[in-house]
Amino acid sequence: MSGVHDLGGSSGGPVDRSQHEVEDWERLADAINSALGGRGLQTTDQHRRAIESLPNYRDLGYYERWTAATEKLLVEKGILTSEEIDEKADEIERRWSGS
Amino acid sequence: MTSFHPGDRVRVRAAEKPGHVRAPDYLKGRSGWISSILGHFPNPEDLAYGLSGMPERTLYRVGFRQSGLWDGYEGPAGDRLYADVYEHWLEPEGEQ
Repeated sequence: MSGVHDLGGSSGGPVDRSQHEVEDWERLADAINSALGGRGLQTTDQHRRAIESLPNYRDLGYYERWTAATEKLLVEKGILTSEEIDEKADEIERRWSGS
Repeated sequence: MTSFHPGDRVRVRAAEKPGHVRAPDYLKGRSGWISSILGHFPNPEDLAYGLSGMPERTLYRVGFRQSGLWDGYEGPAGDRLYADVYEHWLEPEGEQ
């Protein structure tokens, strides 16, 4: 098996066909991905590779994988540090919660 | 470089390779035929690590009989599956 994502043909049980609304942060994750691609900072092949190598791949939803992989790539390339990302996330959280 | 032509019998290499792989596990070691040549592209398995992906690799559409992929397949005997497979994952069916 080539990785945790390589599941084609294995038994996965019943398919959950329920729908859900796309959340704002998911649209944002998609937009950030496109913007990074447009700036030449990330490619689809690199992003896929980063997604496949997430240690907690099975525990994450689709766009959670996207954001975790994007963070991994940005840190790997030295564009941002984990600390910078965490600080900014904390700042946004405080602003959002009004505290 | 194009090693195979439409109609050639091929097998997907039963190899394990670390890192980003573009051949799904369920096709490894399975035999099929070249359906068409899709073009020549930088190797995505190298692009995934920021490398150039050169030289370009030929990408083929490969046909498989569904009954040859799945144990106890119960669908019609003519059912086929087509997958896009890069040259470096293919070998002539006669070779091991």
